[in-house]
Amino acid sequence: MLPQDEYMTRQTKIYNAEARENTWRRYIKEIPDDGYFLLPSCVLAVGYPGAEVMQPRLLDILDLDWNWNLKPEAMCTCCSGIAYHGDVSTIESTLLTTARLWSLAQEAGYETIAVSCVTSFGIHSECFDLYHEEPGLKQKMDKLLMEACGRKFELPRYIIHVSDVIYKHRLRLRDEFMTYQLVDKDSGRPLRGVDHVGCHYNKLFPLERSLGGGEYCEVLSGLVKAWAGKEIDYPERRHCCGMGFRQCMLTPNRGFTAACVNKKMVSMEPFEPDFILTNCPGCEVYLDKEQWAIKELNGKEYFIPVLTYMELAGLLLGWDPYDIVGIQFHTVPVEPLLDKIGIPYDESKAWLGKDGQTLSWIDEILRATPAAGAARMGETIS
Amino acid sequence: MKEEEIKKGRIKPEDWPGNLYWGSGIYREKDGKTRLDPTRQSYPGQPMPPEDAPDEIESPSDDLLEDDSEPWFSRKPSWHGRDAKRCREYLESLSDEEIIEKYYELRDTKAVWGGSYYYPNIKKLFLTPFEREKDRRETAIWQKKYGKSEVAAWYEEAQGKSCVWWIENHIVAKHAFNSCMSCGTCAAVCPAAEFYDYNPRLIMETVQLKDEDKIVELLNADTIWYCAQCGTCKLRCPRGNNPFALISSLRQLSQLKGYHVSSIRGRQQYTGRHLWGGNYWNRGCSIYFRNTLLPFHLDFGPRFARYEINKEEIYRRIGGCPDMDGSMPGRKVHPDTLHQLRRCWQVGGTLYLWDQIEKYAQEQAKEWDMDIDDYFYRV
Repeated sequence: MLPQDEYMTRQTKIYNAEARENTWRRYIKEIPDDGYFLLPSCVLAVGYPGAEVMQPRLLDILDLDWNWNLKPEAMCTCCSGIAYHGDVSTIESTLLTTARLWSLAQEAGYETIAVSCVTSFGIHSECFDLYHEEPGLKQKMDKLLMEACGRKFELPRYIIHVSDVIYKHRLRLRDEFMTYQLVDKDSGRPLRGVDHVGCHYNKLFPLERSLGGGEYCEVLSGLVKAWAGKEIDYPERRHCCGMGFRQCMLTPNRGFTAACVNKKMVSMEPFEPDFILTNCPGCEVYLDKEQWAIKELNGKEYFIPVLTYMELAGLLLGWDPYDIVGIQFHTVPVEPLLDKIGIPYDESKAWLGKDGQTLSWIDEILRATPAAGAARMGETIS
Repeated sequence: MKEEEIKKGRIKPEDWPGNLYWGSGIYREKDGKTRLDPTRQSYPGQPMPPEDAPDEIESPSDDLLEDDSEPWFSRKPSWHGRDAKRCREYLESLSDEEIIEKYYELRDTKAVWGGSYYYPNIKKLFLTPFEREKDRRETAIWQKKYGKSEVAAWYEEAQGKSCVWWIENHIVAKHAFNSCMSCGTCAAVCPAAEFYDYNPRLIMETVQLKDEDKIVELLNADTIWYCAQCGTCKLRCPRGNNPFALISSLRQLSQLKGYHVSSIRGRQQYTGRHLWGGNYWNRGCSIYFRNTLLPFHLDFGPRFARYEINKEEIYRRIGGCPDMDGSMPGRKVHPDTLHQLRRCWQVGGTLYLWDQIEKYAQEQAKEWDMDIDDYFYRV
């Protein structure tokens, strides 16, 4: 028997299934099966190192071909996206930086650029687009890149985000490797997941580059649904997290970031989400950390765990929450979500160092009022 | 499936914890032997202690950079007056060669810890007055050595032309919009417009009217600096215009003409130049985020503070390899790669843009009778 809502939809013929399928096809992009040239993220490796370290591991268990650094003089660098959107880099320098990265991939024999950062994804896509908009730009950049580092480049065949790869293999991951599902272990209720897709993934080129377009992006909600969770739609689902480059990184402007996160939290709270899923390192940092700022500012404790798609996959695969996934890097505790899914963990091991060594820490930090951080620096804050 | 994996000689998940350094290609097997998989290596020989390595340090808190109590290695914004003066005097007493040589000597000092080596001073030099001064001198030397690039010459020419000329000719601005019908969709969906006195529709209108005086007024104001560059306006614009790219282009123009220092938000670009620019120039990534000052990140909460204090151990437990050889964030990028990157930025005209930001900041600091380091913290 069909579920009630689906039954109603079919009976009332709200939509034509074929037409809906055709519409959906407009928003599907081609994701190559194999052969990814990985470009890591600036923020992810330092903010949530577990998420970065799990990338090659996930690609390895799926037996996919990937590569990144070739040799010492030909290693990956940042795409310069944050400097470009922070307006301290010219567009030409950004074009040259991405052209150099494409040149590295081509030297290694890869046609697919797979980036793990959404800002990078936007930058690579914007640069690619600019070559089609501006006549003669390719010739100009050929000359400049040769002058700058003696390299040649072609436009890449595919530019994808690593979350696209995981989306493509979501069912295989579930069927062949996953130990857990997004289901409450006591009640059997599907866990409610809120997706937050990075703005530069689906808003810049919704038709060409985003799975599901700008409004109903599927790249993350598809994972939630495939892994037995329930997708939650809420009014501010498409709102920016407020990272805003110069807004979050220059301390006096960070109020804007907290305000944006607050707006999203207020909007999603009535739907009682169990977790937030992101594919952008910047969004991950600020959706997670600014929940503490909101608590300090207005006393409201939302504390909805924020995970990247890699962390969620890692947890469901049964990888150790502290040793591999690294949930101790999260400001909002992820442990309540583990309890719901039924993933075992030993909280006493959360803050151990390498090889299980016990680390010293300062009592005051645990209390973590504004004075705690200041006390560490030997300063007082008025 | 798992048996097949083992037959292929793959590393089993239970062997991963703490054993595989990301990008290093090194892993430790159950028999205790360390093996190398070169196909997963980012930089040959990375985590093996070098033969000439110094004695192993006990913990990462053992300072290599012993001078970090000196103001030129301190990032505390709280010092003024005597310390600031002493800092300036010291930095100015060093010749270009001395400061550059000393910087690289400090940066390249290795410490053996936890079965591998790393460069602890990378973290300590981050965004210090010493690093900023070194960057100023080094970029000036680069400009002299390689001369003005074709792109930099274009930007110099643009500085002398009108704002309307820029809008018609700058590659980003000219593709950003065709004709705006002032429907206000961008203003309705803009996150910055919710929280600031800001309206992207008015910016589009001002630009479209091509009234030079009004554009100059816009470039002198805080307005353009409120945009969060999220791109929501591009998604929703019924005409397919790209307001956020246009704003980005206007910000560049504002910096080239020096209008940005008239606004509170605009003059923050001086911090941006050394934060993002300094990271790029020295570490090959826009964000380093390894040496946060906790008083500036109180909003990040107690768990952040807790791992920040012991981050070296916790990073290594997860398998991250901060401040080791390698590429990308928090790693020491190979000098050849960094050189290629710097050339991309020099040829692309960014060094010229940095020079202009630096020039206008120095002028304003002088006008306000302020030390440039003090100016950096205050803006």
